[in-house]
Amino acid sequence: MTKETGTLHYLNKGETETPPVTPPTPSPYDELIGQVKNRLDQIEKEFRDKFKRLESQEKVKKTSPPLDISSLVQLLEERIQKVTDEIVSKNFQKNKGQMKIVFDGLQKMRQLINGTEFKSFLSSLWFGRKEENGEIDPFGMDPAFIKRVKPFFDFLYYNYWRVSVEGLPHIPSEGRGLIVANHSGTLPYDGAMIGAAIVNDHHSRRDVRFLVEDFVYHFPFLGTLMYRIGGVRACPENAERLLAKNHLVTVFPEGVKGIGKHYKNRYRLQRFGRGGFVKLALKTNAPIIPTAVIGAEEIHPILLKSTLLARPFGIPYIPVTPTLPLLGIFGFIPLPSKWTIIFGEPIHFGPTYGPKDAEDQLLVNRLSETVRGKIQEMIVEALRNRRSVWFG
Amino acid sequence: MPKKKTSRKKTIALTGTAGFVGSSLLREIENDPQYENVIALDYRKPPFELRKTKFYRFDLTETLADSKLLEIFEKENVDTVVHTAFPVSPPHDLGWAHEIVSIGTMYLLDACAAKKVGKLIMASTTEVYGAHASNPNFLSEDHPTRGGFKSRFLRDKIDAENQFLRFTKKHPHTVVTLLRPCTILGPHVRNYKTNFLQRPILFTAMGYDPLFQFIHEEDVIRAFKMAIEKDYPGIFNIVGDGLLPLSKALHLAGKISVPVPAPVLYPVIQTLWYLNIISAPSSRLDFLKYLSVADGEKAKKIMGFVPRYSTKEALLSFIGAQRLREAHLLEA
Repeated sequence: MTKETGTLHYLNKGETETPPVTPPTPSPYDELIGQVKNRLDQIEKEFRDKFKRLESQEKVKKTSPPLDISSLVQLLEERIQKVTDEIVSKNFQKNKGQMKIVFDGLQKMRQLINGTEFKSFLSSLWFGRKEENGEIDPFGMDPAFIKRVKPFFDFLYYNYWRVSVEGLPHIPSEGRGLIVANHSGTLPYDGAMIGAAIVNDHHSRRDVRFLVEDFVYHFPFLGTLMYRIGGVRACPENAERLLAKNHLVTVFPEGVKGIGKHYKNRYRLQRFGRGGFVKLALKTNAPIIPTAVIGAEEIHPILLKSTLLARPFGIPYIPVTPTLPLLGIFGFIPLPSKWTIIFGEPIHFGPTYGPKDAEDQLLVNRLSETVRGKIQEMIVEALRNRRSVWFG
Repeated sequence: MPKKKTSRKKTIALTGTAGFVGSSLLREIENDPQYENVIALDYRKPPFELRKTKFYRFDLTETLADSKLLEIFEKENVDTVVHTAFPVSPPHDLGWAHEIVSIGTMYLLDACAAKKVGKLIMASTTEVYGAHASNPNFLSEDHPTRGGFKSRFLRDKIDAENQFLRFTKKHPHTVVTLLRPCTILGPHVRNYKTNFLQRPILFTAMGYDPLFQFIHEEDVIRAFKMAIEKDYPGIFNIVGDGLLPLSKALHLAGKISVPVPAPVLYPVIQTLWYLNIISAPSSRLDFLKYLSVADGEKAKKIMGFVPRYSTKEALLSFIGAQRLREAHLLEA
């Protein structure tokens, strides 16, 4: 057993060495690919040698469990995929205009839609799941479904909104954490994009669960889609349960007030609910990661909204955007603004305040206001550096 | 009265022994030698031969049912009452349902209060929570029961529950247990939900795919027996482990689902219900749209009740029996 783990460690080391092989100048790609291939050959050889040696020893005790090779392959694949993704996205930003990325993305999208993936995605939304053995988690998140819709979220992430992420090291690799972000964009794309940022760009690639307003669950398809990709209805019971299981949870304390604010109020943080997220952090001793999402305000700019007309549908408001009632169903296509997601330094209430302080409403409100101020500061700072809504 | 001399032992009284939970529980108790004195109360006979149980033909809806009940309780020295006399499938005659669910419970509790019984167990259902978009993913026992907004039938059931809870406050010496099982599936159970699952083609609400939980009939009966054997005051959700999306459940059952836009589905279902073609009114459609999943942690922790069948296994057991029945390999 010790020998096995030894090989594993060695292999891990070998793999982590692969990314630094990327040369500083991105032009001679063939050379890079050749180098990486050589290194892979080396790894393969080493792996084979080590495994043979191990096997010869292992003949004595046959009871030891077999090495989980498939996970190793997955690990290797993931890491290399990450590097290539980075190179590709950097290359895009350097050599091509940002509009070009969008158009390239649309091209890719067209291919996707023509492919079988899209059909299976639609059929899974329409008729339900087809896989026999796919397991779901207690909140309904479905890894098989996520795998299927990932190309579309990746398209939104890399090509459409060209999300750039700052402050990724502030996300904990394991254990609980509460990502507190500003909410905007009429439909909760921001939660999905924060999740995509961590799955795509954070080294832990951990799943992020995000809390969604209940009105989403009144809509057909939308509610189903949300719970399958990891959304959970926003209520204290759910959030506590998730944090107790050491999940990373995204909350939008502004709620509907934030997501459906007028365009004239963009990037102005609304009231942070009743400080429920602070109570959660205090009760579960989870660090709060203040997060600013820039660019989501412009995807569906709300010019007018009617709460009266929305009442019979059980939704909080019916928005009027430059596209929404005008273009019919196509009005639901968001605008391609350039997004930036900034993760701030984690706030630990830890030793100073404990679970008991969750009862102290005055303190809760004060802490909530501190977090809100922090996020507003981050937003103002980011907006100052932003030159264009569409190109960042 | 030679009866009085012999039967100073504690007696278990079961109501609703013609229903599924009542009859299954009675069968279980009949086969268990540790229970000697059992009485069954219903206006229909239990669906099997009784050996040691005394059957009283009794209608909870008749006038002065409470004093008649007290007479029986006094005569038999009843100590434990298991109240399962509730229709499970939504009835067309809501007036009758109100009489038996709400008023019947009132009569029963009056008699229990006068007799000062030691233990009261009521069979409820997780449907009392209702299906709402604003439900948390796991409903705990202290969550408000909001199932009665659209359905008068469920409103009566919630009223019966509340009567039990009020009884707990007034009579602290009586152990009152409320068990809320979720959808019961298994080889023998028959109700409107199994009727739904028996059709080859099913209408579902388009774009909604809520998570479902099922519990196997054996597990439910076991939970009731546990509550009879030991004292567990309070409310307990009795649910199976694991969840299944509706679409996957239907897929496992080999059904063809036809998604229909929900606003169209409501009036259609209501009309079919009035015409007696389907077995549930449109108010139950909410359960095909929104989440109504109960948390079984409390029963696990306090009662030590661990379901033997998971949600999926309960469904598969039901489907298996169904297929055997279709092939005439199992009695109906």
